[in-house]
Amino acid sequence: MDNVLKSAEMRKSVGKSLLYTLPMFLITFIFMTGGKPNFSDPSATLALVITFGLVNILYFMMHFTGRTDRYRAVLFIIFALSLSFTLIRNMLEMRHSMSFSQADLLECKIPFCHLVIPMMILPAAFTKSIIFPGSIINGFASISSMVVLWLVATIVLGRGFCSWGCFYGGWDDGFSRIKKRPVLRKINDLWRWMPFAVLLMVALTAAMTLMPTYCSWICPFKAVTEFEQITSVESVAKAGVFLSLFGGLVVVLPVITRKRTQCSFLCPMGALNTLSNKVTPFTVKIDKKVCTECFKCVDICPLFAISREDVKKGDISLFCSKCGKCVDGCSKKAIHFGIKGIPAGSMKNFSRNLFLFVSFLFLAVFSSGPIMNTLHNLFKLIF
Amino acid sequence: MKKIKLIAGICWAFAALILIVVLFPALNGLSASFSKLPFMKLNPRYTGGEVVTRTVESACTLDIRKPVFTGFFKERKSGFVQVDWRGTLPEIINDSIDYDHDGRKDFRIIINRKESKSNLVALKTNVKDISVSTPTSYGWAVRVNLNK
Repeated sequence: MDNVLKSAEMRKSVGKSLLYTLPMFLITFIFMTGGKPNFSDPSATLALVITFGLVNILYFMMHFTGRTDRYRAVLFIIFALSLSFTLIRNMLEMRHSMSFSQADLLECKIPFCHLVIPMMILPAAFTKSIIFPGSIINGFASISSMVVLWLVATIVLGRGFCSWGCFYGGWDDGFSRIKKRPVLRKINDLWRWMPFAVLLMVALTAAMTLMPTYCSWICPFKAVTEFEQITSVESVAKAGVFLSLFGGLVVVLPVITRKRTQCSFLCPMGALNTLSNKVTPFTVKIDKKVCTECFKCVDICPLFAISREDVKKGDISLFCSKCGKCVDGCSKKAIHFGIKGIPAGSMKNFSRNLFLFVSFLFLAVFSSGPIMNTLHNLFKLIF
Repeated sequence: MKKIKLIAGICWAFAALILIVVLFPALNGLSASFSKLPFMKLNPRYTGGEVVTRTVESACTLDIRKPVFTGFFKERKSGFVQVDWRGTLPEIINDSIDYDHDGRKDFRIIINRKESKSNLVALKTNVKDISVSTPTSYGWAVRVNLNK
């Protein structure tokens, strides 16, 4: 009953929801087709139609039902799966293996991902160079384009990047939704500071060694993307670390805690994005006049971003990734998306509409390429 | 003051909206501009350093790169020199390299491409060992560890 009441405030009629979806419909159509629709390849056309339909139906449902997290998560999880599929397929096609060779390293052919950014800042400042064997401007996932994408997204969304843009976050987000109730409930929220320790450690070790140490030794997502060819004891040890961290932090712990444990306890990029929450115009607010301090939001937040003290003060911490889970889950409509400068409890619909348009547009356009690519290749395999 | 904050917040939110809308169409241009920033070049530890000597022999080219000793604050005591062979390569590569251009050979390298075996003969005490010897898309590359 409470949930019905809650969503009623944000839900819209079919007509109004369609009207809100129209700009997204037009912009995603232009971005996905490049402004020049080409329907000559049937499987590519089908992939385009499905992706375009999925994205716009999800956005419509966000307005129609008044719920955010459920529909965001669908696209976010599909994005993570399809990006891994695209990467693995590219590697198998180009190298016949998921591992990269010494020649790939020497020829600087490794695709760049945003997780390298925390490690490249100090060396870029002191040595005026980038410590990554990738391409600066050309080719798939070039350093320059990935840094620009991350920079703009993190200024606009803050840590919202972790729930609306990160192509790895969908993995532990997905696993955290498998069980209906958590098996492990009590986790000290001091652990949420752990990514800052990891950030400090990898930034310093990367500066000392001029190597992206997180990618070389820690990154759990190597298990679903690419890793060093196994040629020595060291490379076996690295593969062991990648697989263990993926199994532990991305699969097992999210399942038993219903929390995004990799994002909360390990990711140095998350720590950096946390700082950018100071800059973004968008935020999540608690209306103290309505809040009954039931602390349900504390329990359901997947990133340990809300503590009991935060609720009592009426503040959401900088750890918030604006996933919308607490907004959807609050039975008293006390938590809502907001804009800095607008007091809590006012202009709720305006703030939500603006935030959803910005964040969903980024996710939709960023994810559409890998999703279409994945579908296209699956259709080619099937038909 | 509250009204100013409210207006500033809304203006910033709309600016964010514009930023996201123009981000993807402008990505190529923005990336190209960003890549021109002074720090946007790969560290020589990854590129292998710039080519300082190029020797062309019939269908094969030998590139000797500048030794790399790059460190965070200052140069390190140990580093490497990269040597590349490009073009049509013989089955067994056998070359003597003078990487510091002092007129004396510093090391000799023998590569059996078929067996993927590489041997290094150090002709100076600061030449240590082979760190990488691998076929590449353009031919073959070797990195030899050095002391300064």
